[in-house]
Amino acid sequence: MTAAAAAVGRLPLESRRVKAIAASLAAVLLALIVGGLLMMIAGGEPISAYGALIDGAIGSPAALGQTLKLVVPFTIIGLGLALAFRGRVYNIGAEGQMFMGALAGGALAILLPVGFGPLLIALAIAAGVLGGAAWGSIVGVLRARWGVNEVITSLLLNFVAILGFTYVVRRPLREPGAPDLQGRAIQESAALPTIPDLYIHIGIFAAIALVPIAAWVIGRTSFGFRVSMLGYNAEAAQTAGVRSRRMIIQLMLISGGLAGLAGAFQILGVAGRLDPGISQGYGFTAIVVALLGRLSAIGVLLAAVFVAILQSGGQAMSVIEGLPYAIVLAIPGVFVVFLLIADRLARG
Amino acid sequence: MGIAEPAAPPESRTGRVEMHGVEKRFGRTVALAGVDFDLEENEIHALLGENGAGKTTLMNVLYGLIRPDAGSISIGGSPIRPRNPEDAIEAGVGMVHQHFKLVPTLTVAENMVLGERGGPMLSRRRLASISAQLSELGERYGLEVDPRARVWQLSVGEQQRVEILRALYRKAKILILDEPTATLTPIEIERMFPKLRLLADEGASIVFITHHLEEVVRWADRITVLRHGERVGTLAPRETTTPELARMMVGRDVTLMRVVAGERILADDDEGAPAAGKPATDGGIREVLAVDGLNARGDRGVPALRDLSFSVAAGEILAIAGVEGNGQPELEEALFGLRHAKAGTVELEGRDLTRAEPDERLRAGLALVPSDRYRRGVIRDLTVAENLVLDRIGDPPFSTRRGIDRSAVSEHARALISKYSIQVSGPEQRAGTLSGGNAQRLVLARTLSRELRCLIAAQPTRGLDVGAIEFVWEQLAAARDRGVAIVLISTDLDEVISLADRCSVIYRGRFVASWAREELDHEQLGLAMGGAANGAANRDRERARTEEVG
Repeated sequence: MTAAAAAVGRLPLESRRVKAIAASLAAVLLALIVGGLLMMIAGGEPISAYGALIDGAIGSPAALGQTLKLVVPFTIIGLGLALAFRGRVYNIGAEGQMFMGALAGGALAILLPVGFGPLLIALAIAAGVLGGAAWGSIVGVLRARWGVNEVITSLLLNFVAILGFTYVVRRPLREPGAPDLQGRAIQESAALPTIPDLYIHIGIFAAIALVPIAAWVIGRTSFGFRVSMLGYNAEAAQTAGVRSRRMIIQLMLISGGLAGLAGAFQILGVAGRLDPGISQGYGFTAIVVALLGRLSAIGVLLAAVFVAILQSGGQAMSVIEGLPYAIVLAIPGVFVVFLLIADRLARG
Repeated sequence: MGIAEPAAPPESRTGRVEMHGVEKRFGRTVALAGVDFDLEENEIHALLGENGAGKTTLMNVLYGLIRPDAGSISIGGSPIRPRNPEDAIEAGVGMVHQHFKLVPTLTVAENMVLGERGGPMLSRRRLASISAQLSELGERYGLEVDPRARVWQLSVGEQQRVEILRALYRKAKILILDEPTATLTPIEIERMFPKLRLLADEGASIVFITHHLEEVVRWADRITVLRHGERVGTLAPRETTTPELARMMVGRDVTLMRVVAGERILADDDEGAPAAGKPATDGGIREVLAVDGLNARGDRGVPALRDLSFSVAAGEILAIAGVEGNGQPELEEALFGLRHAKAGTVELEGRDLTRAEPDERLRAGLALVPSDRYRRGVIRDLTVAENLVLDRIGDPPFSTRRGIDRSAVSEHARALISKYSIQVSGPEQRAGTLSGGNAQRLVLARTLSRELRCLIAAQPTRGLDVGAIEFVWEQLAAARDRGVAIVLISTDLDEVISLADRCSVIYRGRFVASWAREELDHEQLGLAMGGAANGAANRDRERARTEEVG
């Protein structure tokens, strides 16, 4: 009874968990092997190169801090995208939503005359979430009302958002007197506290706390269940009373809002000013993270850590071993390909 | 003698077919377990069986679409192993598939050339000679079709004629028809069989696949019944009866025939006690669903429903009969809020639901058994238990403040699985693995376990085998007897006749005829479904109504 009961209510993605995990692990292994082959082709020695990579990612507190700085946006954005993707709402616009959140949160942190730090931070973060959600909602409304493909709109709105952000940095909120292009610094009281020695802002706690929350929403709430219904079979979901249009907008609000949250964290905790360099395409990397994590919350966290290690350790590796950084960047891509293959095979 | 072409050389091949011990497995499923089948010249041979019995597989083997694992085939006495349809066509086999393989934008003549080798495809001279041949064939066998007409302009019956003509054009001597009557109107069916007879008399051998017992008894020379990939028997119609055939098909007694004969299924069932509310036709009629002037467009933007008005009372089944493609999907969707109504109103117990979303309709007591059960009825990737709560996952006891209560979901599933005899290994089985009949049981279980005022049942037995049909009919009748108002949208004449308290016929999005139960008869219904003629009385009634409306 209990075993059967436990199986029920679990989404099939999880119900075939063992197979899925085996497939994922096999895919990781194969991807690492292919990465090693690429390193050999480039004239390197895989074992020592991977050693340098790991060392560069987690070998020292400073290195670990750098890695965690990537884990934060990857996880936060990845969770939102995982949920949206479960409902087959393919939000490719997290990058832009992140910049809009950064802009809204950053502008508040620069301009709002609030002396009390925690309040200012809370307001700036809220503005970040709202900024990202608002930007995402454009995509949601276009899809829900007129059936405009969200992949195209969300992708293109990235450029609008990034250029809009750059405009603000160049004109209204430019740092006066700065020699190069720089946005204004946020008020000191708006800076996120950092964990000593690790140099990582406290946003990491938010990222970690979001994982079980997302897991609960996805696996245990009727909302999460309905999202899966929509994703598996939109027409059957609609027939069973799911309001698909409303849900599409909700999913865009949530995934956009989380991207905006990540953007606000980048300003308040990493850059300390409006800076177009707050993201190296993190909003796009988060798509890979969500897919690698197989759209589950825990999976997203693991994938975020994996990709963050590759990215932050890869730079160290390329310096030490003299190998091109691009090889490291190729590994997650190879991984996705293997994962899709493994998935197909596991399904039989 | 080749029947197809007047100028055909006298061929040694004949239409005699023998198949011995044909076996075919798909993975672990045995589709054919050593089947013997033989076809005589000048014979119409019916291949009868439930869905999945192996009828089509067997014929696909003969037509070279499927290679058997074991067994032998001979045509006209000489052994043959068709490796593809070309081989089969070469040997004189032609097949008309259930879903026609015609290119709609090409003309009839152009469709003949498809798949042929050599020569300029569409030279004018060639087309002219094809057209001439087609006209001649058409005249000879009563299969007239304009060779220059484009296929999309033709009715389903005409398209079928084109398929048969194509087989004849390719000099087929053995004609396989897969479910030839599935998409035809009753009138077209009546016209088709005599033509097949004529073809057979002229020397063709014909196999037709079906699960309709009456056609078989009426038109076949011999009947072979398949069940679970095995041949149950081959017999002549005069040696048997429809109940016996049904028993051979299903492997047990079915009461369906009783139903078809017009008896109420639940007459001897305590559930159907009159107190439970078999509606009094005199006085006390409680109107539940009222639809007035409903208009809706189809997917391509053309009007699909035109000014439909009807009402259904508690404890009543209104059947909306019609041949496929006359607005049924649009009606189903418009009634349930899945399609926007351009004009008109839908009211449930006086409450206007015209603009209501499906979830609001559900809460108001309206529910839908969708015609496409895999598209709208179940979610294949979810489990049976999950599918049983699709419409109520947010309600207690399935959702609590702490989230979904899995044990409540599971318990609910167990109860419904046993109550509706859904054949599953357990509640956690994936719904995608269910057979059509079981999927429909699941949909019915979910739908009928709601607080229901009105049920829209769209093509509820389409594609189901006799056993499952029986179950669905019983459930619908039981719901009716509980006082639910039921709109039954159906293309199946037997279903309409067996279940309807009243019946309207939909043709091109309009009602063209209506009857009360007592006035229903096969012939008039069939005529009206063809759209051509109404019964005289009805014509007057309809005229009176249009005058009223207009």
